[in-house]
Amino acid sequence: MVLPACYRNSGKASIALQNLSISEDQENLLAELTETLIPETTTPGAKSLKLHLFVLKMVDDCYTADNQKLFMEGLAGFNDHFSKQAGSSFADASPEKRREVLKGIQDSKQKDDPVKKFYDITKSKTIQGYLNSKYVMTNIVKYELVPGRYNGYFPA
Amino acid sequence: MANLTIDSVKERTFDVIVIGSGASGGWAAKEFTEKGLKTLVLERGRPVEHVKDYPTTNMFPYEFEHRNEIPRKEQEENPIANRCYAYHEDTRHFFVKDAEHPYVQEKPFDWIRGYQVGGKSLIWARQTQRWSDFDFEGPARDEFAVDWPIRYKDIAPWYSYVERFAGISGNKDGLAELPDGEFLPAFPLNAAEDHFKNALKEKFPNRYLISARCAHLSKPNQIHFDQGRVQCQNRVLCQRGCPFGGYFSSNASTLPWAQKTGNLTLRPFSVVHSIIYDEGKGKATGVKVIDTNTKEEIDFFARVVFVNASALNTNLILLNSTSNRFPQGLGNDNGLMGKYVAFHNYSATISAEYDGLKEYKTDGRNPAGGGYIPRFRNVFKQETDFLRGYAAAFSARRRESRDSKGIGEELKDNLAKTELGPWQVGSHMMGETIPKENNYVRLDKSQKDAWGVPLISVKVEYDENDRQIRKDYYEQMREMFEAAGFTNIKTRDTDRNPGLDIHEMGGVRMGHDPKTSLLNGWHQLHACKNVFVTDGACMTSTGTQNPTLTYMAFTARAADYAMNEMKKQNL
Repeated sequence: MVLPACYRNSGKASIALQNLSISEDQENLLAELTETLIPETTTPGAKSLKLHLFVLKMVDDCYTADNQKLFMEGLAGFNDHFSKQAGSSFADASPEKRREVLKGIQDSKQKDDPVKKFYDITKSKTIQGYLNSKYVMTNIVKYELVPGRYNGYFPA
Repeated sequence: MANLTIDSVKERTFDVIVIGSGASGGWAAKEFTEKGLKTLVLERGRPVEHVKDYPTTNMFPYEFEHRNEIPRKEQEENPIANRCYAYHEDTRHFFVKDAEHPYVQEKPFDWIRGYQVGGKSLIWARQTQRWSDFDFEGPARDEFAVDWPIRYKDIAPWYSYVERFAGISGNKDGLAELPDGEFLPAFPLNAAEDHFKNALKEKFPNRYLISARCAHLSKPNQIHFDQGRVQCQNRVLCQRGCPFGGYFSSNASTLPWAQKTGNLTLRPFSVVHSIIYDEGKGKATGVKVIDTNTKEEIDFFARVVFVNASALNTNLILLNSTSNRFPQGLGNDNGLMGKYVAFHNYSATISAEYDGLKEYKTDGRNPAGGGYIPRFRNVFKQETDFLRGYAAAFSARRRESRDSKGIGEELKDNLAKTELGPWQVGSHMMGETIPKENNYVRLDKSQKDAWGVPLISVKVEYDENDRQIRKDYYEQMREMFEAAGFTNIKTRDTDRNPGLDIHEMGGVRMGHDPKTSLLNGWHQLHACKNVFVTDGACMTSTGTQNPTLTYMAFTARAADYAMNEMKKQNL
């Protein structure tokens, strides 16, 4: 079943945030962006692992006010920037087009540009959230809580 | 006071009162209760019961809301705690938050505290090395501080005694400057660490890399099983509290042991205001406590008081224990109490890469952390322009990196793969510092804490000797790293404040002479013999060793002496 876009009614983000004010549209955009970075394949992608919410949680609690501001500015300006580059909105763009424009932002030398900053933060937190997700830690890169051993000469 | 009836006094009377439940206080509790003495252990913080009160101990990384990062606001509210290497989302409940327990910094001093049953023994780095006579004889030979009233032979049997019970892993390395102990098997060095060890052996006489000695049960004995502890499982999540009791803490070891005797009364939420001195009797008769829940003031009585409140808080309690006889603090006739505070100089680190031995990596985790280089400067004779020297930690690991440049499936695939980099090697310095009269703590004249106890005011600074030691560490380590074929060598001043080493010591130093020291060779206040200090406050000099093992041995020795004196009716 496909849920309608406004299934939440409130128009607000789906998690409680202290410092960021995120609309439902922005949350959906962020979800799409993280899904573009880490798509669902035979294994779960960013959206089903809720990595966009992890990004929001971390930016909200662990980033400086300056970086939060840049993140918000970049998030607000992202669609405009994307449309200018791609000729269509992020939501309507093909996966190839999305990756192409994101690559452009990623390779940009303008470190303080809000869109670039927003993208960089989002990507780094998406990766952190992915690698530290229960799914990855129990299925892909397994985390051992109790190794019970140490070998300083393990074959590399 | 609530109730002054005879019964109430009787209920509040013990053979021994121990102030503090950390590593040394826990040992005092064990020794006295085991020998049948009714012992009251006072702890200012909350109870922490082994395993039951380790809320994060079995949590997976993804169960931490911020993946173990301390949120920004909390970092900003607790700049001091936040500078501690062990303060994270999984351990923060065992650290004092800055605002809860203020103190005065005349110079920047990072005071890291653990106010709970078990104190900092829950969160310590568990490194345990014995002192040698090259340390005990240091002040006399190099003419600083005062002569230690004890030597290695006095404490050696007590090192053995506590090592057997606590469980210390290590190799018998046969080094005079770092005596061997009663060891469980050492955690071995890895390939690159062994390479460095061999390079030192070949090219640097009297410099050794050994397996770090640590308070972990690499292969437990019956005495450890009897404590309810089992083999260390190499989790290296120690500061959360260990459900296996794999490392030594008061909570896993001495306190439950004392509890089993039926002679222990453990009273948390009990801030000690002062020690009560009876002029008629010429000795201490008890301790004045403030219950932190009720703010009620309660006196407890005993024949002997052991002060194990942690180095600076022990100073605070004694300085605040004033009477007509001791207007400057209990036993402080010479006015030196609080002075000659010292610490360990951890202000330097060095790192490099090693391109060899790529056929190996490590698997599992090493709770010992790697290797240890005992002090090699000025050991057998004075050979540099600075006094004393430094020990160094050394460890190596291969970094695993991931290619995160891609976007989409490419990124996802790459994140599942790791690329093994060269060996990364690193070391940090652990320098001896020279105790000085102008490095001190004292009571703040006007400010008090929530329980009416004066705030402690700390003035402790690095000196020129510390800077020279740092310079020498860089030079010598660089030379040794180069000799081992390490590349990309980088030194880094950590610019850390004194205190962050969490090895603050002194203020109530031991010595022969009551005119120049506060404690005698049995850790008794010269001027009030039934009060003993066996935590970091008693330290006459600092050595370069991690000090906790020495405090534990001091405590067991002093407790044994106290019990003999009690039997003889001398106390």
